[in-house]
Amino acid sequence: MFGWEYPPLHLGGLGVACQGLVQGLLKTGVQVTLVLPHPHTQSQEHDVISPKEHTTHTVRVQSMLGPYMNHDQYFRTISAVSKEMQQVYGHDLPEAVMHFTETSVDLTKDVEADVVHCHDWMTYGAGARAAKHHNKPLVAHIHATELDRTNFSPNQWIYDQERMGFEAADRVIAVSQYTKNILVEHYGIAAEKIHVVHNGSSEDHLPHNRVTSITRTKKQEPMVLFLGRLTLQKGPIQFLEMAKHVHQHRAEVQFVVAGEGNMLGEMIHKTKELALEKNVTFLGKVTSKEARKLYRTADCFVMPSLSEPFGLVALEAISHGTPVVISKQSGVSEVVGHGFKVDFWDTAKMADCVLTILRETPLAQQLRSEAPRSLAYLRWEHQAGHVRSVYQDLLKPR
Amino acid sequence: MQHKHSHPSVCFYFQVHQPYRLRDLRFGDVGAEGTEYFDEVKNRDIFRKVAEKCYLPANKLILDLVQQYPDFQVSYSLSGVFLRQCQEYGPDVLESFKALAQTGKVEFLAETYFHSLSSLKSLSEFVEQVSTQVELIENIFGVRPRVFRNTELIYSNELAHIARLMGFSGMLAEGADHLLEGRNPNDPFIPPQFTLPNDVQKIVRKFRPYAKAPRNISVLLKNYKLSDDVAFRFSDRSWIGYPLTAERFTDWLMQSGGTSVNLFMDYETFGEHQWADTGIFDFLRSLPKIWQERGIRAITPSEVIRTHHRRFKHVYDAHTHVSWADSERDLSAWQENHIQRSALDALFALEEKVKATRDPELLDIWRKLQTSDHFYYMCTKYWSDGDVHKYFSPYDSPYEAYRRFSHAVCDLRERVARYPSHK
Repeated sequence: MFGWEYPPLHLGGLGVACQGLVQGLLKTGVQVTLVLPHPHTQSQEHDVISPKEHTTHTVRVQSMLGPYMNHDQYFRTISAVSKEMQQVYGHDLPEAVMHFTETSVDLTKDVEADVVHCHDWMTYGAGARAAKHHNKPLVAHIHATELDRTNFSPNQWIYDQERMGFEAADRVIAVSQYTKNILVEHYGIAAEKIHVVHNGSSEDHLPHNRVTSITRTKKQEPMVLFLGRLTLQKGPIQFLEMAKHVHQHRAEVQFVVAGEGNMLGEMIHKTKELALEKNVTFLGKVTSKEARKLYRTADCFVMPSLSEPFGLVALEAISHGTPVVISKQSGVSEVVGHGFKVDFWDTAKMADCVLTILRETPLAQQLRSEAPRSLAYLRWEHQAGHVRSVYQDLLKPR
Repeated sequence: MQHKHSHPSVCFYFQVHQPYRLRDLRFGDVGAEGTEYFDEVKNRDIFRKVAEKCYLPANKLILDLVQQYPDFQVSYSLSGVFLRQCQEYGPDVLESFKALAQTGKVEFLAETYFHSLSSLKSLSEFVEQVSTQVELIENIFGVRPRVFRNTELIYSNELAHIARLMGFSGMLAEGADHLLEGRNPNDPFIPPQFTLPNDVQKIVRKFRPYAKAPRNISVLLKNYKLSDDVAFRFSDRSWIGYPLTAERFTDWLMQSGGTSVNLFMDYETFGEHQWADTGIFDFLRSLPKIWQERGIRAITPSEVIRTHHRRFKHVYDAHTHVSWADSERDLSAWQENHIQRSALDALFALEEKVKATRDPELLDIWRKLQTSDHFYYMCTKYWSDGDVHKYFSPYDSPYEAYRRFSHAVCDLRERVARYPSHK
């Protein structure tokens, strides 16, 4: 299995989903050899950054590639290392990917696999080469397309890498029907070869015993939470626009933005422009412990993504008993019944859902108790079972 | 007197109702001047769509049939809010119902004017709405209803006795398996005998439509198996009975025994739930001919009571509420989850204050919000399995239904609080 990131070293949902899937697969009796890009600078202390599952065999490939990178970001990263190292890693993104592909195929040439499974475009080249080398079926898992990340203005080279992967694959696993539709409509991939396997949630789904009623009454102001990378895809600007609408009716409501990303400057600027300095707090990147605390304190979690293949954060919020308002342009909206779903551009309506949740205690209570319960069937073990059956189908003698 | 029937007669009752659906109300509408709650455009569109697909063609067909076949009669319950929408959006529909009434072969039943859940919350409000509806039916069709059916066939022993005390000779109810205990729903039933508490009697007497109450009340039970064969399964290709022919259905009716097969269903079954291209109109058209050939009469609920309910009657004992909704056949379609219950509570918490204003507009708004559909849209019973339940609702989700409704209730609360005479 070729991945890009894996907890605890991860930036976003891909790493979490990979971990959940790997753990789920192990429970269903599938053995996994995990191949991950690995920056040179941290290579000595693997133990901290290696996956903890004992039955997983991990192969680390030295690379400066980071998840969710684009050409510019790779350029900034590579510029920081010496000229000699640049030779090794590749001067630009295509070279780096080629380097990763070659090295990882080489390092795994003796691994005896039944299926080659790769996650998102950076590993598709490696997956395709490895599958060809071993003469085994290829599964391309798609967590996010270039179209999602760029609001449908893709970098052509990355788009081509993705399409090459989908076409080379014997089966494609999409994290939602929403993503499957994008592959069919915008990549021309045959619907029959795409299987939808929704992500699971890593949290347990029993409603948490929030000490809400007591702590909540003591808390002065209601709080609305955004948690995610500050990139175009995640709709942070929409979050601020929503905040403005809420603010017009209830000036005391606080908005917390957790996460980092290239739009931080623009976000701060926009906050000033909307005169929300006193109501919006930027926390930067938060640890998972801090995130849990934020979920528990928040009165409402808003995920206004412009195009979200899945949206694990929404499940995390739900599993902590936080009422959610999520973008209709998301995969997670296919599995969340107990919550509000709004078009990402309709920030006035988004605000109205937030205001209703803040005003109506019975509504908030029902969302807190019902939403986590309804996710019980979305356990990773269960979802990994679907992936396993895709493998089994591929391995059937024909 | 005709020869003794060895097979049952048939009793058709069609429910005709349209709610006033809510606008996409916003937080800022609460407390604003003259906020309009109901979605005029959507309500008109839906009314016209259903009128073209169901009401007009179905009424035309039924008119043909009652004129052509001497032993073919039917009954309707038209909610007050439906009749009001007829006046607003469909005079043609109203005329076609009047034409049916003029044949003298169609019975109109009584119900709450607002197709409301008032029977669960306020006795005086409930009885008052029934009286309003009885007046309305008499004004439009010239006949005072004698048989009562409550919203969505919500029924209990107590409600049956309240209906009796209101002056009705019969009441319709769901023939629920757990209450029938193996008995045939086609047989005549009565509620268990008991006396209503004095305070209840007093309220009923104060607001009731009739000055006198009969000694007993008959209960007509819906034969849900045969009713649902038409209403739900008619076009279901995976159903063993598909395709359902008039001949086969008549065989089943004749075999089902008892005295009256009560076929109760939404009128929208014809042309709207089951589209015309499923053959539902042809099916309905061919029934009276076959029934005439086989000596089966289709009669009204009042006629069922006159003909069959003189003899031995079974006791239908409903300690708790039954209804015709969902497989549970209880109140859970409207009053299961937290938001449904708190929405209805919040609305009825305003009763005294709304009534104290004596403002007809505020009263009317408050009552339109009692329509059962608002609470049905908030149902989350099949929501939890993640499988997005195909849901008959004008809104996106149960939570969207609650969002709009809660804004309306909040605004109404503020309007009542602002009302001059109330200070």
